[in-house]
Amino acid sequence: MSNTNGNGTIKGITPRIGFYICHCGHNIAAMVDVEKVQKFVASLPGVVVSRDYKYMCSDPGQELVQKDIKELKLNRIVVASCSPLLHEHTFRRAVEKAGLNPFFFHMVNIRENVSWVTDNREQATAKANALARAAIQRVFFHKSLETKKVPINPDVLIVGGGIAGIHAALTIANAGKHVYLVEREPTIGGHMAMFDKTFPTLDCAACILTPKMSSVKNHPNITLWTYSEVEKVEGFVGNYKVNIKRKPRYVIEELCVGCMDCIDACIYKEAKYPDEFNQGLSKRKPIYIPFPQATPQVVLFDPETCIDFKSHRCKKTCIEACDRKAIDLKQVPEYKEINVGTVILATGFKTYDAEKSPQYGYKKFPNVFTSLEIERIVNASGPTNGEVLTKEGNIPKSVGIIHCVGSRDEKAHKWCSRVCCMYSLKLAHLIKEHTGAEVYNFYIDMRTPGKGYEEFYDKLMNEGVHFVRGRVAEVTDWALIPEEEHKLTIRVEDTLIGVVRRIPVDMVVLAVGMEPREDAQDIRRMFNISCSTEGFFLERHPKLAPVSTFTDGIFIAGGCQGPRDIPDSVAQAGAAAAEALSLISAGSIELEPNTASIIESFCSGCKSCIPLCPYSAISFNEGTKKAVINEALCKGCGTCVAACPSGSIIQNLFEDEQIFSEIDGLLKFAGIELEEMEVVNA
Amino acid sequence: MDTTIDVKSFAPNGKQNGYNGKAKMINRKIKYESELSSDFKETIAELAHGEKLYGCIQCGTCSATCPVSHYMDYTPRKIIQMVREGFRDDVLKSSTVWLCASCYSCTVECPKGIKITDVMYALKREAISAGYFPKRFPTPVLAENFFAQVLNNGRNSEGPLLMKMYMKTNPFNALKNTMLAFRLWKTGRLTLKTEHTKDRKSLKKLLGSIDKQKEALAK
Repeated sequence: MSNTNGNGTIKGITPRIGFYICHCGHNIAAMVDVEKVQKFVASLPGVVVSRDYKYMCSDPGQELVQKDIKELKLNRIVVASCSPLLHEHTFRRAVEKAGLNPFFFHMVNIRENVSWVTDNREQATAKANALARAAIQRVFFHKSLETKKVPINPDVLIVGGGIAGIHAALTIANAGKHVYLVEREPTIGGHMAMFDKTFPTLDCAACILTPKMSSVKNHPNITLWTYSEVEKVEGFVGNYKVNIKRKPRYVIEELCVGCMDCIDACIYKEAKYPDEFNQGLSKRKPIYIPFPQATPQVVLFDPETCIDFKSHRCKKTCIEACDRKAIDLKQVPEYKEINVGTVILATGFKTYDAEKSPQYGYKKFPNVFTSLEIERIVNASGPTNGEVLTKEGNIPKSVGIIHCVGSRDEKAHKWCSRVCCMYSLKLAHLIKEHTGAEVYNFYIDMRTPGKGYEEFYDKLMNEGVHFVRGRVAEVTDWALIPEEEHKLTIRVEDTLIGVVRRIPVDMVVLAVGMEPREDAQDIRRMFNISCSTEGFFLERHPKLAPVSTFTDGIFIAGGCQGPRDIPDSVAQAGAAAAEALSLISAGSIELEPNTASIIESFCSGCKSCIPLCPYSAISFNEGTKKAVINEALCKGCGTCVAACPSGSIIQNLFEDEQIFSEIDGLLKFAGIELEEMEVVNA
Repeated sequence: MDTTIDVKSFAPNGKQNGYNGKAKMINRKIKYESELSSDFKETIAELAHGEKLYGCIQCGTCSATCPVSHYMDYTPRKIIQMVREGFRDDVLKSSTVWLCASCYSCTVECPKGIKITDVMYALKREAISAGYFPKRFPTPVLAENFFAQVLNNGRNSEGPLLMKMYMKTNPFNALKNTMLAFRLWKTGRLTLKTEHTKDRKSLKKLLGSIDKQKEALAK
């Protein structure tokens, strides 16, 4: 390219480039001939020093760069090593310490992009050479840049009011920061509120959850919006603008005290609609409260079933019954707009739909239940007041619990749902305790990793619960012998003994696994985060950043990130709260100076860029008739830069000459010169 | 309830192609729950002095450490699982219990502290009382006669014990060992008389009181 003149000087500065290639132990050196790359780069114009080193990220590695900057008066640095996600920050800091502007540094990824993705040493080395040359040519044109700081709004939005959301909200609120807790359902509590006992200690779920629920309701630092959904999210770390829709309950939340007189007064004397909270095993009226400890303690209408909403011909006895005049059938959705600095997503999970595994006969045989249904059945406030009964109303004499329904199955979900073994043990204990029945567990592997979990398994074995290792083939009502008549027979290979067994039972429990919520993808798009292949929210790093996402200021906790139990969800919620609080405490965050700016003399004022900006960072100056970019809002996505028809928008770190010289460096390996492209660019 | 099908009937024209004239059998191996006995595990747990066998995690350490497990029809691990699941008849008919040499390796190695050797003894006793053992199998015969002698006489007399065992199992084996017996007798290591304690009445009383205590405990 002609941007560099014959003696390699650009705009009066002679580049003095230092190149460093990292072995990364064997990670890179085993596949890339680092010495060859080092020698090749040494021969390139502008390169003053070229070295290879075992671990560039180590302190001696960084000191090597710093020493060279001082002694050899280097003004450009290129390091070829791992992904910039891991160590770009490390090297920029090291360069800055040596007195050079950190943006004169450029990083080449020859690990994730080269050595880890091939087994051809020759080609790997060639690619590393090409990438190194591209970086050397690019770094010629790097400029000195300043990072900018943006303030962090101390308010936090938490989406989802299950145990994870509740715990995160309380942690942050107790630290004195304001929390908006948004829950889609009419009450907080999530799945945990449906459980009877919790493993392995068998303490009652409601007893440990409801105090936390009421603390959320009464906390001065928490704004609780139930029956509400996030509609729109804009902005960036520290400065998110969120729109929330509060769905109408047709009951004024501030006035209702939860006396439930209206429910008694409803013209439906009998409850006749399936109760969602009890998994449809009991009935509710069109005006209802999900469960006795619901928080907030406010009733709501179901417009789908209420006569007045359908025909407007109801006597409205409920309104008459309410002496606080809390019922407002004309209520409309309310829209709220809030500004927050950070967001914690704790949107939870969904259980596998057992009907998708027809061999187990869910919905075909009345006495096949899912684990969540059994949780309600064994619960004292459940549909049968805690009595475990078959659909015929008998106490079961034998119960089979089938593990891994929808888990560890390529036809359903490949993953292990982690909690089913333990909750199956808990249900086995509870069923045995309530009924004295013979309980059979059919498992593929018992997975009980956790404090006190293996001991719980041992306890269950000693209680005489049967453990049959084998995946159940089918649940059938086809009796082969008289003993199997009027029963459900489970056919399974007892792989420990080596025989196929037929076991007749009165009741079957399907231990359904955990899967992402149906609208996880919508949430993901709304908050601009990623999902892993199975559809759970993706963490920034599986080990070292388990509650962060690739979007700064958005954290994840609980079942939305993957199958997990209550202790892990709570731990994660605490971690997410700590991450949010650490941003809030810092008060501001440094942003990458990769923002775009307008060359005013070129701008024709066509306004093409304005609607394209996803961050609403571009406005139009009516006085000068030119576009203006607000650098505080610009996230450096580059959309406007590419779209500008007059080429009047430039982006820091991605200027045309930087990119084109980088491409030129790459193409030289294929023997292509960039002359033609240059013509287009000019 | 077992059905056995003679494969011969599948062969065309009654010829046994590829079967070398030997009929192969296909046996039904499915287990109905009604064929199992649910209280079997309690019986064994009681006899083996411990309910630890309920806590077996089926790791297989016992089978791996057992020096004779490769001759057994069910390995010790399998036996424990079968006991727990009530496979009474299969367990009592198996060769496993009789092949156990009581070396206690399994008991020492078991990560759950199950007294597997004791379980084997319990199973032997159950098998003997149920009459489930090969008629001329020396181990149960020897065990039975040993205990009968000790309980009656308070003493064990090798000569008569061995003679009884050989007569009940294979008398020709006695002839094979005549020279050895003679040498042992000559050095005073083998008696041909039936010995007994002086006070057999007290012995009976002593043993009887144990039985009474057991009965009282059972109540």
